[in-house]
Amino acid sequence: MADDKDVLRDVWFGRIPTCFALYQDEVTEKEAEPFYLLLPRVSYLTLVTDKVKKHFLKAVKPEDVEEMWFEYEGTPLKWHYPIGVLFDLHALNTALPWSITVHFKNFPERDLLHCLSNSVIEAHFMSCIKEADALKHKSQVINDMQKKDHKQLWMGLQNDKFDQFWAMNRKLMEYPTEEGGFRYIPFRIYQTMSDRPFIQKLFRPASPEGHTHTLGDLLKEMYPAAIAHDGDAKKYQVLIQGIEPLLETPLQWLSEHLSHPDNFLHVCILPVPTD
Amino acid sequence: MSCVAVKPPSGGRWKVDVIRQLKRRDQRQHEAFSDLIRHYSRMLEKSSISAGFLRTARVPSGPESLSQNDRLKTMTGELACQVVALQQELNIKQKVLEEQQSRLAGAQQGASGAQAEEQALQARAAGVQAANAGLKREYDALLLLHAAADARVRAETQRGAELLEDVIRHKQQAAARLNSANERRSRARQVTLQKDLRAAQETPITMDTFLNSPVSTSPPTDPPERAHTRPFRRKRRGNSVCSVDQEAFRPGRVCVSARVPVRARHSLDAHEQGINAVRFSSSSDMLATGGTDRVIKLWDVQAGQLNHRGTLDGSAEGITSIEFDQTGFKVLAASYDKSALLWRIDDSVPKVTLTGHSRKVTAARFRGCPQQVVTGSADRTLKLWDLQKAACVSTLQVFSYCSDLVCSENAVISGHFDGQIRLWDTRTASCTLELPAQGKVTSLDLCSDLRQLLSCCRDDCLQLLDLRGNNRMTLRAEGFKCGSDSTKAVFSPDGRYAAAGSADGGVYIWSVTNGDLQTCLSGKHSASISAVSWSLSGDYVVSVDKSRRAVLWSDI
Repeated sequence: MADDKDVLRDVWFGRIPTCFALYQDEVTEKEAEPFYLLLPRVSYLTLVTDKVKKHFLKAVKPEDVEEMWFEYEGTPLKWHYPIGVLFDLHALNTALPWSITVHFKNFPERDLLHCLSNSVIEAHFMSCIKEADALKHKSQVINDMQKKDHKQLWMGLQNDKFDQFWAMNRKLMEYPTEEGGFRYIPFRIYQTMSDRPFIQKLFRPASPEGHTHTLGDLLKEMYPAAIAHDGDAKKYQVLIQGIEPLLETPLQWLSEHLSHPDNFLHVCILPVPTD
Repeated sequence: MSCVAVKPPSGGRWKVDVIRQLKRRDQRQHEAFSDLIRHYSRMLEKSSISAGFLRTARVPSGPESLSQNDRLKTMTGELACQVVALQQELNIKQKVLEEQQSRLAGAQQGASGAQAEEQALQARAAGVQAANAGLKREYDALLLLHAAADARVRAETQRGAELLEDVIRHKQQAAARLNSANERRSRARQVTLQKDLRAAQETPITMDTFLNSPVSTSPPTDPPERAHTRPFRRKRRGNSVCSVDQEAFRPGRVCVSARVPVRARHSLDAHEQGINAVRFSSSSDMLATGGTDRVIKLWDVQAGQLNHRGTLDGSAEGITSIEFDQTGFKVLAASYDKSALLWRIDDSVPKVTLTGHSRKVTAARFRGCPQQVVTGSADRTLKLWDLQKAACVSTLQVFSYCSDLVCSENAVISGHFDGQIRLWDTRTASCTLELPAQGKVTSLDLCSDLRQLLSCCRDDCLQLLDLRGNNRMTLRAEGFKCGSDSTKAVFSPDGRYAAAGSADGGVYIWSVTNGDLQTCLSGKHSASISAVSWSLSGDYVVSVDKSRRAVLWSDI
């Protein structure tokens, strides 16, 4: 359906305006202007920040340079989360552009993974896709694909090629008609309040009786507190791709259209800002 | 804000809500900032570029430029060296190229030379082929000529055959005419005979008339009858073997003294092939020789020369031995064709043929008065024959191949290959005495006084045996070798010498009295001598050899 295609396009081409500034303590005599960039929501930090690195390397003494890392308001940003997820989780309700601080020293070993080359990102991305397909199709579709198809998925993401990516990805979004949907919905529920990184469990797109599960059913199952009971004010925002879908939205449709390129439905639950 | 015509989406209102929210999100986050960020990035680029220009435009400081100059100088020096080296390499390559080009030129020359040669050879080949074609044409022409000549030859032969037929026909006609003429004549004779007979029947005959009448009208071929012959017409019995006057006993001539020959008087090639036997007649100086060519030639000696007198043929194979009878008119010969033959010396056709042996007859001898002949043969028998009946009277089994035999009054003495000499009594037909010889006996001769026997042995010696006293003497000579299994040795007619021919072509003569070699006549024969014979007069010795040579020796 043309609308669904538009949805896919809008999801893919979503951007976040970001301002990168070098950490104050690392600034040398050369002035380093902040660098502005529109980051793609669906990509990963270390994949799209080459220009940032080049820009700031000019201002930094060469002998001081180690691996570049980012933080926002004191929180080191994990590069292996999609950018959109990071933004929604940390800075959704703040003023745009999103201000990220660039560090070249004092890499926080405990918080962040090292990302020394693009192959690391590729490996992570592909493993997410495989995990998602394991949940959706018992890994049959991903295993039937050839290596060049996997490569095409990665290249599509790396080079920001919607058509190249979705030529392969649509196979992962298909399901046998008698099933009525995927075997299980791949999702991760992120939240800022607890120490758990995310919630990921098995959840069917439809009940055994044939009842289509909705987003509300998922939340009821996984994070009941997020659902506001009648009468109470809404306490939590449930964000997918930066928007709040209605709770009656079918889960199957959400998984097909609002997943990230890694085929996971990343859901962020934020407390409603009080002010 | 862009206005896009949006179709009302299908599905629930949740989809509408989602689409709307996405749009709003993009407006807020993306579109509001895109231009701004784009312009900012461009400004940043421009400033960094200009900063870069400023930096490069600045003159480099002193020490840096000097070192740069040095570096440049060293670089130019290195480059110059490289140029020189490359130039040298270039020269070398140039030289190599020239050499190869010269080699190429040489090879091309060689190739052109070879091509010229090839063309010359091809021209020669064409010439040879033309010559061949010419020869072939000649050959064809000759072939045609040959065919024509062949046809002519065939025509001629055919004509010749036809002519021959004509001649034969004519001859036949002539013969027929002759036959008819003869018949007519004989018929005429018969008629006259009948007339005469009838006439004679009518005339009365008395004994007187018959006795006084001349020769009767019997056919002229009959020999003259004796006076007391029966008056009836005798049946014609064929040619009788002998006639009256020939049967009269003639006393044998005796030689008083023989003379040892000294030199050869006459030497000739007497026969066509090798001569095996030679014999002087016992009554005259007539000689008979016979050999492999199946004929016996008669010679007589006149003034030291052998003159050919006649030839007796009729033997189917070679002659082994010859003997004259005591009258000298008959010749008996033994032959390889398993028979003995008897001739009259004036008739070349044999009178009697004695067949019955199963192998070659080696010796045939007249025996005594009553017309008997003894033959010895390789089939280990001796046969006695009666000449009147021309049949074998008795057969004596001897035990070995008989090579020669002699007859004395009552005995037959035979020499054998097993080295024995056997005496046979003809009346009892048994062996009375067996005497060992030195080796294979090849010939025997009895001396004229019938007392001494000379035997020739294969192991090159002659033996003299005294028949009455049983003592023996051996005659040997250096150089004397018995040449064959049938070499003949003879006594001289007076019994004082013994002669034999040797394989080396020499005639050896020993003295019998003391056993010494008297002389050796050589130089005339080139082959092994097969037989010798001493003339009854004692004057001549004839030797014959395997190479058909006969030599007459005498002492004058």
